[in-house]
Amino acid sequence: MEGASPLERYLESCSGQDDFSTSPHLFTPMSPYDLELPTQTASQLSQSKELLTDFSSVDLSFLPDVTQDNKEQNLSEDGHETQKELIRSLPSDEDSGVLMDESSLSHPGAAQPSPEASDICPPLTPMTPLTPATSASESSGIVPQLQNIVSTVNLACKLDLKNIALHARNAEYNPKRFAAVIMRIREPRTTALIFSSGKMVCTGAKSEEQSRLAARKYARVVQKLGFPAKFLDFKIQNMVGSCDVRFPIRLEGLVLTHQQFSSYEPELFPGLVYRMVKPRIVLLIFVSGKVVLTGAKNRSEIYEAFENIYPILRGFKKPS
Amino acid sequence: MAARGRCPECGSGSLVEDAHYAQQQLVCSACGCVLSEGLLTTTYSDEEHLREVAYSQSTGQKEQLSRCLQRGSRRVQDLCKVLQLPAAFEETAVSYLRRALQHPAFRLLSREKKELLGGCCVLVTCRQRSWPLTMGTVCSLLYARHDLFAGVYLSLQKELGLSVPALSLADLVTTHLNSFRLLQPAADVPAAFLEDKEQLLARTVAIVELASQAWLVTGRHPVPIVTAAAFLAWQSLRPGPRLCCPLARFCRLAGVDLPPPAHLRLKELLEILQGMASQLSWLRGFPLDRKVVVKHLGELLQHRLFLLKNAFSQHGEEQQDTAPGQGCPSQGSGPPSSPAGAQQQRRPWAGPARPGGPRRPLLPPCLLQPRKRPRSAPSAAAATGDEPISDSELEQYLRSPEEIRALSRARACL
Repeated sequence: MEGASPLERYLESCSGQDDFSTSPHLFTPMSPYDLELPTQTASQLSQSKELLTDFSSVDLSFLPDVTQDNKEQNLSEDGHETQKELIRSLPSDEDSGVLMDESSLSHPGAAQPSPEASDICPPLTPMTPLTPATSASESSGIVPQLQNIVSTVNLACKLDLKNIALHARNAEYNPKRFAAVIMRIREPRTTALIFSSGKMVCTGAKSEEQSRLAARKYARVVQKLGFPAKFLDFKIQNMVGSCDVRFPIRLEGLVLTHQQFSSYEPELFPGLVYRMVKPRIVLLIFVSGKVVLTGAKNRSEIYEAFENIYPILRGFKKPS
Repeated sequence: MAARGRCPECGSGSLVEDAHYAQQQLVCSACGCVLSEGLLTTTYSDEEHLREVAYSQSTGQKEQLSRCLQRGSRRVQDLCKVLQLPAAFEETAVSYLRRALQHPAFRLLSREKKELLGGCCVLVTCRQRSWPLTMGTVCSLLYARHDLFAGVYLSLQKELGLSVPALSLADLVTTHLNSFRLLQPAADVPAAFLEDKEQLLARTVAIVELASQAWLVTGRHPVPIVTAAAFLAWQSLRPGPRLCCPLARFCRLAGVDLPPPAHLRLKELLEILQGMASQLSWLRGFPLDRKVVVKHLGELLQHRLFLLKNAFSQHGEEQQDTAPGQGCPSQGSGPPSSPAGAQQQRRPWAGPARPGGPRRPLLPPCLLQPRKRPRSAPSAAAATGDEPISDSELEQYLRSPEEIRALSRARACL
C-alpha cells in the first residue's frame, strides 16, 4: 500500500499469509526454490527430511536480523509462516542438529543462503525452536531423576579371574556362586561384573557420562593388572529413573481404565505395573504418587514416557 | 525291482513286487503268476533291519494328550470341585492350561512350577468372571510356595497376553465371610458371639468402602483389611459382650487365620473412625477411644461421607484451625492456607485428630508417615565421560606385593 509505514507493510504481509492457513497445500507448487540442498551430508539430509514430515514450525522471532529479512522475503512468496504449529515433544538434540545446519547457512546474510535455508524443508520450514515445545495445556514441570544405568563393554581379551581377585583390593570372586568377578569403585560409585571372556557389565551410575567414566576406570584397573584390555562397544543397556507427582493416585481406578496396559495385583506387589507401548517403558506407579520408569535405552525415552503418563495420572487426582 | 526266487509256473527269475490295491504282491513278470501276496517282509532278516519310527515323528503325539496336560487337567478339575466353581469355569481353565502348555515358555518348566500352572489358570478364570478368589486360597490348596506361584502367575499373564481384572473387594468380603464359623451355632461359640450373616456382611462392606475412601486399601493386601473390618463390624453389632474379645480370639473362634497385618489395619481404621467421631456433635462430651467408636459405629457409617469430608482436609488444602464445638464445617473461620501447605503435609501425623486441632489430610499412610528422608538430587559430577583417569586413583584399588604375599600365606593355611 502506498504511504504505509514499513511496520504496516510487514503486518500486511503477515495477515496476507494468515489467509492461506486454510489451504497450506497450495504452496508447494508455488515454491520457487529448488529442492536441491547445498552441501549437506547424506545423514543431515535424511534427518531433516524425516523431521519435515513431523512438523512445520516457523517461529523465527529469536533469530538474528539477517535471517529475519530473508524470512520476510520468503514469507511474502509462499506464506509458509501461516503454519504456526508448535513442534510437539521433539528431542532437543535433533532440534539443535537442524538449527545448526540452518544457522550456519543463513549467517552470511546474503540472499543466497536464504533459499538454501528454506530449501532444507520443502514446505519451507526455516527453523525449529530450540526447546521442544510441548502442548500448551500441561507440561508437568517435573523431571524424572536417573537412578541407575546399566551398561556393557567388551574388553576384548581373555581374563584370569583368580588372578584379578588376588591382585585387586576391590574385587570379590566366588566361582561356586557366580562365574564373574564383582569389582567396585568409589568414584563414581558403581559395581562391575567382569567375566572371563572379557565382557563387562557396569551398574550403579547415575548418568550416561558417569557410566562411561566408570567403565573406563574398570578397564584401566584391568589394564594395570597386566591384561591387554581395550574399550570396545560401550553400550547403555538400561536406564532407570524415578520421580514424584506429589499427589496420591487411585490405582484401582487406573487399572480399570487402562486395563490393557496395567497390571495391579495388591496381593503380590503394592504398585501398579504399567507397560507403555510407545516408548517401550515399564512404569511402576505407587499410591504415594512416586513413579519408577525403567527399560529405557535413552534419557529421552524416560522423559517422554513420563510426559505421557502424567496427564493420565492427573486424571486420577482427587479434586480438592 | 527284481526279487529273489523263481517263478514256480514258468521258471523265470524276473519277479516283481507290485501292489494290487495297495496289497503287496510278488508277481512273475513273464507269466503273471502271483507268487505271494500280503507279505510285509520277505524274510526274517528283513524284519530285523526295520527302522522303528520315533514317537515324536509319528502322529500319535498329536492325537494323544500329553501326560502333563492330563495331569494338569485333572488337577484343575479337582480344584474347581473343591472351590465349588460353576462348570463353565472348568472348561475355560482347561483351555487356558492347554494353550499355556503349547507355549514354549511353559513346556519346559520345572515339574514343581507346572503343578502351579493349573492353579494359575483357575485363578485367571475366576478373576475374569468376577469370582473372588485370592491367591492365598489357591496357594494353600496347592501347598505351593507363594513366590513361586506369583512368578508363574505373572509369566502366564504376560505370555498368553491375558487381561485379568483386579480383585473386587465387595465380592471378596462375601466369600471371606462365608467361611466364618461364627455365623452358625457351634459348640464352642458362646451365644453372645453368634451373629446374623446379612447384617455382618452389610456392615463389613460399608467399613471396607470407608477404608478404600480413606486410602487404606490401595496397594495393600486385601485379606487383612477384610478381617479387620469384619472384626469391627462384629464388635459393633453387639458391643456389650464383644468389646473385650481381642482380634486373635475372634479369628480363632471364626476359624480363619489371623494375617499379621490385620492388627495394623485395625489400628488405622480406628484412627480414621476416631477422627470422624470427633465431628459428631453428640459425641463431643465423650473421650474418643475405641469403645466409644465401636459403640457408635453404625452412626458413623451412616454419615460417613459427610464426616470424612469434615474430619480430614482434602489434598491441597490444610486448615490451620477449626472452630471447636460445632458439628458443621466451619472452614470460613480460618483462611485456607496457600499451596505451600502442601509441603507441610510431608511432616508425620501422629495420634488421632483432635476436635480443635488442625485437620489431618486424607492421604495414604505411607505419605503421612514417611519412613525415608527425601534424598537431595545428586550434583552433576562428570560432564563428559572422557575425563582423564589419574594413576594414583587407580592405585588404591590394587594390592601391594606384601598384601598379596600375606594373603597367599593366609590362604595356604586355611
